[in-house]
Amino acid sequence: MAPNETSAKRPQLAAVVTAYRKLLHPQHIVDRFLEGYGWNGKYHYPQMDMVSLYVDQRGEGDVFQERADRHPTMKLYPTIDGALTLGTGKLAVDGVVVVGEHGTYPKSDSGIVMHPHYEFFEQITAVFRKSGRSVPYFNDKELSWKWEWCKKMVDVSHELNFPLQGGSSLAVTWRIPSVEFPLGATVREAMCIGYGGISSYDFHALETIQCMVERRRGGECGVEWLQAYRGDAFWKAHQDGIWPQELFKAALTRSSTLRPGDPTFSDIYPTVEQMKAMVPDPLAYQYQHRDGLRCTMILLHGMVRDFTFAAKIDGQSKPFSTQMYLPMPDGRTTLASFFSPLVHNAEQLFLTGKAQYPIERTLLTSGLLIAGVESANKGGQRLQTPNLAAVTYQPNPESTFWRS
Amino acid sequence: MLTRRRFVGYSAMSSSMLAFPSLLRSGFGQTPPGSAQRPLRLAVIGSTYRRGSNMQTIADRFLIGYPFEGDWHMPNVQVVSMYVDEQSRRAAVAPTEFDHAETGSARRGAAESGPASDLSTARSKQFGFRLCRNIPEALRCGTDRIAVDAVLAIVEQCDDLPYPSNSKGQVLLPRYDFFQQCVQTFEAEKHSVPYFNHKQLSFSFAEAQSMVKSAERLKFPLMAGSSMAVTWRLPDIDIPLGTPVQEAVMVGVGGFDEMDFDALEATQCMLERRKGGETGVKAVQLLEGDDVWIAQNEGRWSKDLLSSALSRSDTPLGLTVLDGRNQDLVSSGVLPQLVKDPAAYCIEYVDGTRATLLILNGAIKDFNIAARLGGEDVVSTQFFMPPAPSETYSACLAAKIDQMYQSRNLPYPAERTLLTTGVLEACLNSRHRQSQRLETPNLALTYKSPADSQYIRT
Repeated sequence: MAPNETSAKRPQLAAVVTAYRKLLHPQHIVDRFLEGYGWNGKYHYPQMDMVSLYVDQRGEGDVFQERADRHPTMKLYPTIDGALTLGTGKLAVDGVVVVGEHGTYPKSDSGIVMHPHYEFFEQITAVFRKSGRSVPYFNDKELSWKWEWCKKMVDVSHELNFPLQGGSSLAVTWRIPSVEFPLGATVREAMCIGYGGISSYDFHALETIQCMVERRRGGECGVEWLQAYRGDAFWKAHQDGIWPQELFKAALTRSSTLRPGDPTFSDIYPTVEQMKAMVPDPLAYQYQHRDGLRCTMILLHGMVRDFTFAAKIDGQSKPFSTQMYLPMPDGRTTLASFFSPLVHNAEQLFLTGKAQYPIERTLLTSGLLIAGVESANKGGQRLQTPNLAAVTYQPNPESTFWRS
Repeated sequence: MLTRRRFVGYSAMSSSMLAFPSLLRSGFGQTPPGSAQRPLRLAVIGSTYRRGSNMQTIADRFLIGYPFEGDWHMPNVQVVSMYVDEQSRRAAVAPTEFDHAETGSARRGAAESGPASDLSTARSKQFGFRLCRNIPEALRCGTDRIAVDAVLAIVEQCDDLPYPSNSKGQVLLPRYDFFQQCVQTFEAEKHSVPYFNHKQLSFSFAEAQSMVKSAERLKFPLMAGSSMAVTWRLPDIDIPLGTPVQEAVMVGVGGFDEMDFDALEATQCMLERRKGGETGVKAVQLLEGDDVWIAQNEGRWSKDLLSSALSRSDTPLGLTVLDGRNQDLVSSGVLPQLVKDPAAYCIEYVDGTRATLLILNGAIKDFNIAARLGGEDVVSTQFFMPPAPSETYSACLAAKIDQMYQSRNLPYPAERTLLTTGVLEACLNSRHRQSQRLETPNLALTYKSPADSQYIRT
């Protein structure tokens, strides 16, 4: 049921988003379909049309009306059903772009914002069901804040046989240096150092790790346990070598935003004492895959403003490392250009009818985030994760990150 | 206590591991652990050592190391002496003891306190190097012979005590003077050491030319240039060696001097790889204001290349700042509204290749290039300049400098910087003469590019 199997006509897309304001994910993503973006040395206009838009939360600062006025092909609909059926009563688009990030939604008991990815999914797949037809589905970031829903989203995508593509831009953005994890390599330990807070940017850091280690020998075989470290327990674990110093250093030296621990220097490798002074709330999730691979996701908010990766790969004398570069519009840039490869991969999804990378990656990282927050809430208790042990998949052997 | 003379003696004849590491290196270890070779002794000479200065960001890397290839790399270098021109210039204009007595004024030290105060005294104490009153002293470290193995020269504008500018808007930085003082010492002792000159060789091509000739005559490696030529590229791409290049368009921001040099040099480091190697520059013209848009409409440079270069930018201004949208800055026709004072450096090479550097303050904030190879192939990329304070692009440069010191081999010829120095000066001459096109027979320089790309990739 690929959208464009019968003709070369431009795919017609529906967008279902939380809130559409400057610098929110919906603006970054839907804008790129409407306005185009720099790609491969040209200003690129996607060969598809955004024909409908549903916005869940409206308010001050909205820019979608301005966009709709300039791009009259895109009609606003007050319901998700309307956006997908274009008022015809049946599915009338060739693809769906869902952005469930941002907006104002309450937090779950465990402290995760209850973004409406699943609620959107339910309504969208209700249209698929009543129409007897499904179309490619792009879902920005995680699947859901609740594991059962994450799992159900993936199961339903298989049941209704439509490609579901999700995840973070970290997996597809520039890498500095521009390197790919060697396919089939044996990896013992892997790490990401990032920034941001718990139940938010940890997802990006988890995707950073997973988009690399899923390429290891045997592919992904699931995660059997996870343990969170926060505050003093983090520093103790760091000094006790719970994660390898060698990888920590390799990842940190790939950062281009390392804050100097000594203010008279501009770029200096920090001591532990300096790190403690800069990072009031450090966080780590350490987790072990069923094949023995141990991964550590670390957030050092206050010390770095980027995401870096390091891994110990058999046969390589020193750690494999790189930065997943986010040209952040926080003063460093004006465009969050890391959304360009995310949208480019979404375009490929709509043009080919095939997910560019497995949704199981995002299923696993969504589950890791939920488990990580739970472990942190339980004071760093090690949690067995039989649900995540069952997530197994093979990677796309082709690289899908930004390199041209 | 360790006297300076003894310190120099020790560092000259013994392994760094034995030479009072805790005292001399304050626990930072100016030497990589386990390095067998004696560290290379470095003299740092520059204009101002304040937080955020080029001298601080680069010279510090030789004191405390820098990120390189996924590790914190400690170069096998020991800074043994430093000359800071600002200190000497302050001393020269400071009231004398007599003046103080006469006026009853309070004495003010050379290094005031404050966030951007001079750091050289503190660094000297922390790392045990000698602060010198003049350049020959920095080379001799208090002895009567050259006692260093290499020189790092970082001369830049000193905001608190500015160097003067000429009528062409060039800051008269004493890069040539620093170099000449070293050369005179080298000549006097018949002993020369590798020399790195940050950025352009001089504001004057004639001086720059004599610098390159002196280095050839005295047979020491002279390396020069800026970080933009060696920093990361997004994407990681170069002009394939030996490919014909019709034209290149570079876009960036600047103001007729230091940053514009960096952009010109980054352009040059790609173009020198074209078929036939570097043939030199035949003529230049610097356009400003509306003349830029007129020239653009007349097809003086390729709009497609401009569009390609701008497609690499992460910093479009205007509507992007207003509401976050992406913009095709060229086909929307918005550039003239955004850029109030455009400038175009138009460069005609002897072999017919053309290059244009467009300074687009107000439209973007980063540096991007597009080049048309023979046929329709276009290569485009962004020169990635990571933000302050870490400015890790200068770590890329420090690594190149370090490799040159250790090997005495130049990663790229000084002629690259020489030609760029000449192009910048010629363009400023053109500007001075109401944007006249100037023939540049003196810039008919030829040289060969290194076979391998020298920007950082790993």
